Amino acid sequence: MTDLLLSQIKVSGESQFGTDEYVVNLGPQHPATHGVLRLIVKLDGETVKETIPVLGYLHRSIEKICENRTYPQGITYTDRVDYVSAMSVNLAWALAAERLMGLEAPARANWLRMIFVELQRLASHLLWMGAFAGDIGALTPFLYGLRERERILDLFEMTCGQRLTYNYIRIGGVMIDILPEFVPKCRAFLDYFEPKIDEYEGLLTYNPIFLQRTKGVGVITPEMGINNGVCGPSLRGSGISCDVRKQQPYLYYDQVKFKECLETDGDCWSRYKVRMNELRESVSIIRQCLDRLEPGPIETKLPPVLKGPLGGEIYSRIESSRGEMGIYLVGDGTPKPYKSKFRCASFSNTYVLDQLTRGWKVADIMAVLGSLDMIVPEVDR
Amino acid sequence: MFTGENIVQTVVGLLHSLYGMVGLSSFQGILDPIVAAVVMFHFIAVFVMFLVWMERKVSAHMQSRIGPNRVGVFGLLQTLADAIKLTIKEDVKPVKRDKIPYYIAPIIAFVATFMGMVVIPFDKGMVVQDLNIGLLYIIAITSFTVIAILTAGWSSNNKFALLGGFRSAAQIVSYEVPLVLSLVPIIMITGKLSLGAIVAYQQQQGYWFVIPQAIAFLIFITSATAEANRAPFDIPEAESELIGGFHTEYSGVKFAMFFLGEYIAVVVSSAVASTVFLGGWLPFPFMGFLHLPGFVWFMAKLLLVIYLIMAFRWTFPRLRVDQLMDFGWKVLIPISIINILVTGFWILLVAKGA
Amino acid sequence: MGIFRYFKNVVMGLYNLCVGLSITTKYFFKKTTTQQYPEERLPLPERSRSMIKLIYDGEKDQFNCVACMMCAKACPNSCIKLEGVRDEGGKRRMTTFKLDFSTCIFCGYCVEACGFDALTFVSEEYENSVYKRGSLLQDENAMKWARPAHLAPKTEEPAAAAAPAGA
Repeated sequence: MTDLLLSQIKVSGESQFGTDEYVVNLGPQHPATHGVLRLIVKLDGETVKETIPVLGYLHRSIEKICENRTYPQGITYTDRVDYVSAMSVNLAWALAAERLMGLEAPARANWLRMIFVELQRLASHLLWMGAFAGDIGALTPFLYGLRERERILDLFEMTCGQRLTYNYIRIGGVMIDILPEFVPKCRAFLDYFEPKIDEYEGLLTYNPIFLQRTKGVGVITPEMGINNGVCGPSLRGSGISCDVRKQQPYLYYDQVKFKECLETDGDCWSRYKVRMNELRESVSIIRQCLDRLEPGPIETKLPPVLKGPLGGEIYSRIESSRGEMGIYLVGDGTPKPYKSKFRCASFSNTYVLDQLTRGWKVADIMAVLGSLDMIVPEVDR
Repeated sequence: MFTGENIVQTVVGLLHSLYGMVGLSSFQGILDPIVAAVVMFHFIAVFVMFLVWMERKVSAHMQSRIGPNRVGVFGLLQTLADAIKLTIKEDVKPVKRDKIPYYIAPIIAFVATFMGMVVIPFDKGMVVQDLNIGLLYIIAITSFTVIAILTAGWSSNNKFALLGGFRSAAQIVSYEVPLVLSLVPIIMITGKLSLGAIVAYQQQQGYWFVIPQAIAFLIFITSATAEANRAPFDIPEAESELIGGFHTEYSGVKFAMFFLGEYIAVVVSSAVASTVFLGGWLPFPFMGFLHLPGFVWFMAKLLLVIYLIMAFRWTFPRLRVDQLMDFGWKVLIPISIINILVTGFWILLVAKGA
Repeated sequence: MGIFRYFKNVVMGLYNLCVGLSITTKYFFKKTTTQQYPEERLPLPERSRSMIKLIYDGEKDQFNCVACMMCAKACPNSCIKLEGVRDEGGKRRMTTFKLDFSTCIFCGYCVEACGFDALTFVSEEYENSVYKRGSLLQDENAMKWARPAHLAPKTEEPAAAAAPAGA
């Protein structure tokens, strides 16, 4: 299939000065991050003429597999759809199944879910920051981001036992209650972490080299963003308010105070600023949730076998770290869904990559790719 | 007293008596520089191995981790292990390469940077040959690396290596101008090109040149990192870019020579910077009472400047190629020219043309 | 004016570069956060899902497992295969238990589904690499684990009393 693709690419003849265009493969294995994404780039000297992403190197047919697993067993697969922010996808499936079956989780479970999903957002943005800086050339923020992320993963491991594929947020509540030492440790971590955000900003945000590499590069205008299906922090960098937590609040997001981070320029630097501000907002949300945590049950009374209603279908969306994560479930009266579909933010954000890089240099492809925060398992599922 | 001069005199005396024993006293004039060059060669070879270890440790501690610590005490033998690995590696060569330039390029890269160490004074009188055109010689020698890079890029028969070679050559050539221009005020003030004489001038005037010429110091350090193809100017050998750079098709010992040549260029530039701007073998201010030999101070300053260059690599992002050229031509050169003008006015008006 | 903006950019750029350098230099002098494995092994949290073991009751000299098949049904990847037999007293006992760790994803559904306290996660055993893939198909003898006295399960308390309030 890929041979066909390469031969279909027509290389235009001589340009004004007699230079040739050539086609280059930014292969599935990258020295930097992003996983197995393949880009076929048509170059004219140093300038990019066209970028064609070739997807599918990480396709594991998760959606088809979930048709043969019960609803609770499907949660174990959602961990692998986006393994950098697995709690968000767990939550998306749990909310979708609950809405499909008409269940509702108790209050304590919802507060706990909010805490863990916001902690996961912190962890995901820290990894993104490291990867983005590494693509631009600064190799040190990657290590700093991972150092803080290790502490967040320690908090997760203390609660549910795993550091990457948690299987913690269940249909009807959460898996197990937090330990008594979780709350003081979480607060201690937040107090330790908040000044670090200013440190990372000092290292990167106004660094003249970083500014030169990212300001004005990869501008997503609001019309281009909406027409091409961009979502999440990438669209908020262009000034469009698209946070699902504000538009269609789920859990208790309408009861906590937080700002939606918007920037107006739409370039890579704005997207970077949006995510750094989201780090601060998440810290504030977690503090408010910790204050409002009250004792109570952590799981509702579930029927012995969870069955999706015959003819029921639901599309339920949440705001994951990358943007809108939506899950579409169709029930058919059996314990297994008839169809499941994941609407992932990275997949829809990939489409705009071609338009953003035309006419720019090769080095800008890496900057734009990093700023869109693409995670390949989400793209391929 | 235990100073560098005394050491040099003792060693030279021993050497001359050795010549006498063997019967070669008449060839003293030729043999002395040769022996000095051989000693310098060995010293630099060991020092570069130490530097590679230092880079890994410095980068590790900046990133909150421990660098090499398994091979030898504190990981000091790590570079030796890497060198052995590189020597026993399979020598992969492209079939359609241009044979003679392919073999010559790493040799030029290695030798040319080495030659710069001939004029660096480690202490008063501790140089291989204190040429009275010292600075001019070093500036001329550092231009040789362009030949090595272009030869490497061309002979590899790889269009990406060629492009990487062109980019690197353009970068080096355009950053030589601010390198030279930042040294011109020093030459104007002292009126001498010999490095030993510049250090003597600093001793005489009581303060180092970094104080009046801080801007020139910064420009020199920046141009020196660009000359050595190091971050933030390392587009030609950037790991997360698509083009591999001029040394893509080299493996084993030839790659090691490019790699070491880059480090030696860093050493030469840092040595020039610490001699011209930081006072060479003069003691640090307020620490002269320690009575340490001069080369201890020189090595300390050298390591400080090298640490600074390493910190540049691990803190700053990479510049894109056209931004790199913009920075060199549009920022560094105007500022260094303004520096020369201001220094000229100062010499004429304030120092009354001294 | 253009010329003032040029110089202002240069000075501000230099200042911000120095801010960045100061941060990395600060970390250069701080303690590192590396754990020197394998000399330094920190204990894992108690709930760590490291390795699944079959609990062997030393007093009764038998496994707790009664082969009710709930774990095999709960497993998303069908890793568990077990057989049981009813003995003379009418009680079911397990005869063979095979768990294929090469397909196990350590989700914990089997441990949660078990109503007889027969399966558990043992957090200390996390170095489970093997040289042959066949060794990952473990039977009940490889998974045998006798629970130490201090890890005996506590009795169930109502969640409201167990969960502490707020801070």
